[in-house]
Amino acid sequence: MSQIAEAIGFNLIVISPTVALVITVLILLFFTITVETSLTVKKWITFLGILVTVFCVFLKFGLFLQNGISSYFTQKILLDEFSLFGNVLIAMILFLNFLPLWDTSSKLNEKTSEAIILILMSASGFFLMVDAENLIMLFIGLEIGSISLYALAGLNRSDKLSNEASLKYFLLGSLASCVLIYGVALVYVSYSVMSLYDFALALAYTGPDIVPLTTFVGVLFIFVGLLFKIAAAPFQSWAPDVYQGSPTGYVGYMASIAKVASFIVIARMCMVSIAFILEDFQTFFFVVILLSVLIGSFFASVQSDLKRLIAYSGVVQSGFILSGITSGVNGTSASMFYLFAYILQLIGVFTIFSIISGKLSSNFEMDNIKGLIKNNRFLGISFCVFMFGLAGIPLTSGFVSKFILLTNLWAYEKYFLVSILLLSTVVGFYFYLRPIWIATIEKVDEPVETLLIKKSEYLLIGSLASLTILFGLLPDTLINISRWVVQNYL
Amino acid sequence: MIGLTYSFILLPIVNSLFIFLIPKKRAELFRPLTVFLSLIPLGLCLYVFLNQNLKTSFYVVDKFSWISAYGIDLIIGLSGMSFLLVTLNCLLVLLSILSLNENHSFSKGFLSSLMLLQASVNGVFLAGDLISLFIFFEALLIPMYFLMGIWGGENRRYATIKFILYTVFGSIFILAGTIYTGVLSYLSSGNFALDFDSLSTLSITSSQSKILFLLFTFGFLIKVPIFPLHTWLPDAHVEAPTAGSILLAGVLLKVGAYGILRVSIPFFTEGFIEYQFLIATLSVVGIIYGAVVAIVQIDIKKLIAYSSISHMGFVMLGISAGRYLSLEGAVIQMINHGITSGALFMLVGFLYERRHTRRISDFGGLKKSMPIYAGIFLFTSFASIGLPGLNGFVGEFMILMGSFPTFNVLSSIAAFGVVLAAIYMLWAYQRMFNGELTHEDNKNVLDLNSKEIVSVAPLLILMLFIGLYPSFIESYVVQDVSIIYESINNTLGLSK
Repeated sequence: MSQIAEAIGFNLIVISPTVALVITVLILLFFTITVETSLTVKKWITFLGILVTVFCVFLKFGLFLQNGISSYFTQKILLDEFSLFGNVLIAMILFLNFLPLWDTSSKLNEKTSEAIILILMSASGFFLMVDAENLIMLFIGLEIGSISLYALAGLNRSDKLSNEASLKYFLLGSLASCVLIYGVALVYVSYSVMSLYDFALALAYTGPDIVPLTTFVGVLFIFVGLLFKIAAAPFQSWAPDVYQGSPTGYVGYMASIAKVASFIVIARMCMVSIAFILEDFQTFFFVVILLSVLIGSFFASVQSDLKRLIAYSGVVQSGFILSGITSGVNGTSASMFYLFAYILQLIGVFTIFSIISGKLSSNFEMDNIKGLIKNNRFLGISFCVFMFGLAGIPLTSGFVSKFILLTNLWAYEKYFLVSILLLSTVVGFYFYLRPIWIATIEKVDEPVETLLIKKSEYLLIGSLASLTILFGLLPDTLINISRWVVQNYL
Repeated sequence: MIGLTYSFILLPIVNSLFIFLIPKKRAELFRPLTVFLSLIPLGLCLYVFLNQNLKTSFYVVDKFSWISAYGIDLIIGLSGMSFLLVTLNCLLVLLSILSLNENHSFSKGFLSSLMLLQASVNGVFLAGDLISLFIFFEALLIPMYFLMGIWGGENRRYATIKFILYTVFGSIFILAGTIYTGVLSYLSSGNFALDFDSLSTLSITSSQSKILFLLFTFGFLIKVPIFPLHTWLPDAHVEAPTAGSILLAGVLLKVGAYGILRVSIPFFTEGFIEYQFLIATLSVVGIIYGAVVAIVQIDIKKLIAYSSISHMGFVMLGISAGRYLSLEGAVIQMINHGITSGALFMLVGFLYERRHTRRISDFGGLKKSMPIYAGIFLFTSFASIGLPGLNGFVGEFMILMGSFPTFNVLSSIAAFGVVLAAIYMLWAYQRMFNGELTHEDNKNVLDLNSKEIVSVAPLLILMLFIGLYPSFIESYVVQDVSIIYESINNTLGLSK
């Protein structure tokens, strides 16, 4: 038995985060169906499950130190720096979002357990996705994650916008999945390989000159499927509607987790699988980045709904991250830093939104944050910090990430791209400072009602805001981590 | 010296947090405490003055490893010129807090923002590498955004956003220049050394020098502001609260000129020589344009704002001429303009608090009801015009005389700016203070009280002091200026 296990690379530790989440889900399911259990117990079960998941990610680091880059389960699951970084990010998103997620779910009355189960399942799927070496595995992970997210978007069934968001997300998302799986099929047709590493070997074996056309089309389709998930233009059309319609407490989680997993996979594909033919995709990526920055900046400037504004600004940020990932090793490391910093700000912003608007609401008009600094000084200042961070003002992590990213792009001699990205930051200043104006400066006519928030929320938002400033002042550790992620390809 | 230099940046931040943490119930404590707290950095400046060991060119005081993977350090340093500007900044912050009216002195947000502004402006002047220069250059937008946005005038939204977008648009050019320089220095030495020491030894080709000069200078010129890029300034000045205007005119405009002196010219001299005529032409256009537009203003604050464009044009003319005398004159004019325009904005603020109008035609005959105010205003106007014996004369004279050998036509035209200055300042004085008291409201206007006199007096003393004894200031800038002059001279010698 043990010989067979060794032969197929059976190792539970490498999939332990997924397993831990699935077990948590099963326990929750058991309690939901059989015994009447109070919400508090379920809350603790969920929290413990997430803590165990975080611990399992640490276990994977131990395995990595022992085995180095290695693949398991007959080349289905991969353990490398990218997957570890992705695991850390996903575990972090799950952990940091626990409060808004739970509070939102508990407002759903009958459907609390259902929501939590969906959330944990989606995380388990994205864990699989970043771990996947096999393209089918990648697809399965993506689907487990995405389908849970489609359902999550529509959980507030009494809200029309929420239904619309769910349906839109589902239809467009499944279209993107179709495109992705078609791409996988085309890649398999060309080389009879499914593994990301074998694909690279096959490309190296044939040489970049006689790569069959099916490979190009296949890889292009895989990228289209993934770019859809990160809401890069021209595949961004779902993002504003889904962000706007979904229950506010869920949006931070939904937005960040899908982005992280897809970016990690894109980075690994560019770095490993198609490194030999990456040059041929430069035009494609250039167009995507250009469109993301232009469309995102333009539409973000004219939004009156804050969630839509953040969605469009996310399109711009995706363009930024993508520009680093597709340009080379140092660019990828800069993008990993960018991703980390951006996720923290995104979660912070949406946590604040969910506190202000009530967890389940869909629309979030600009006026909702009017007088925020008077209602709750702490929230107001943290909101400013996150917005400054997203805009990239110095002394926040946003500036450092933009700076090192643009420096690397300049070193790759992408002058035109750098100028476009720089100009977009000017527009960014315009649309990020507008909410700050309304939150802090705009005169409020109605009497001030103090916004009371829980201690745990203070802790969460406070730590996110201080991390945003900390990584701006002392970015060294995180930059070293982001360089460690790509150390093999330097 | 390390602790001293850090304290110019860190003390205001600590002060600002301290003020912010005082509960709102003790509002009467805000102003005395802030005055006391902002006396500390000024006291440190005086201490350095007494030590006399600062008449040096730029030297590095301390390094802080920021991104070790890229070899980027944040560096702070000191020089005579930086130190003079830091002192000016600390002084103006103190005086603008002293001169605050009741509304603002009870708002801790206002006082904290002022302190943060002080910290970031000091940071710009003390920065020893391009990254920290850029960081502080952009960080000063945050306090300025809130100062103008929350406590500004009627049309503040438009003015604030215009100010921010103009500055950010300029700063992306500086960022691009910084990145380009970093990459060049990486290619030659293996790490992103952006400190001023390694930049001065960095070998770059002539075309790179021209591109980099344009990138940096464009960003800084928006901040100066030079003629076609000036339109944010009148709006910003008119809408900003008095304290904001004082600092905006007094120190923020100097940030741009300082950047050109510190970065653009010494490191990218070939680019400077290529474009010096263009900058000089634009400056002279700015001098005349600012003065002519100032003549026709009906709002006294806007008049002073346009006069700032004219005066900063002189600074830029002196810098672009690249002569020893003109460069020195430009630095001295920077200090002088900070003092004079700070005082003028403060005086206009006093009048606005009493009458809630700034239209020149709403006044007239004020000399009868406010004799002290009229005297002080006249004195400051003379300093601004450049009456010999007062500070304005020293800088403008040095600039005109120094730049004549390089640009004789341009500096002859610029000399008319002084005449025009006399027209707009004295005509405004005449319409506001001389003649009969035509408006009812003006009859019972109170004259300056002791608090207000105390807050404007140091500036008046400085005007006279610098006018009579300019070599005191000059001795601090000699080293800095000679280094800039040498770099220009060397490059000129090489090209010939």
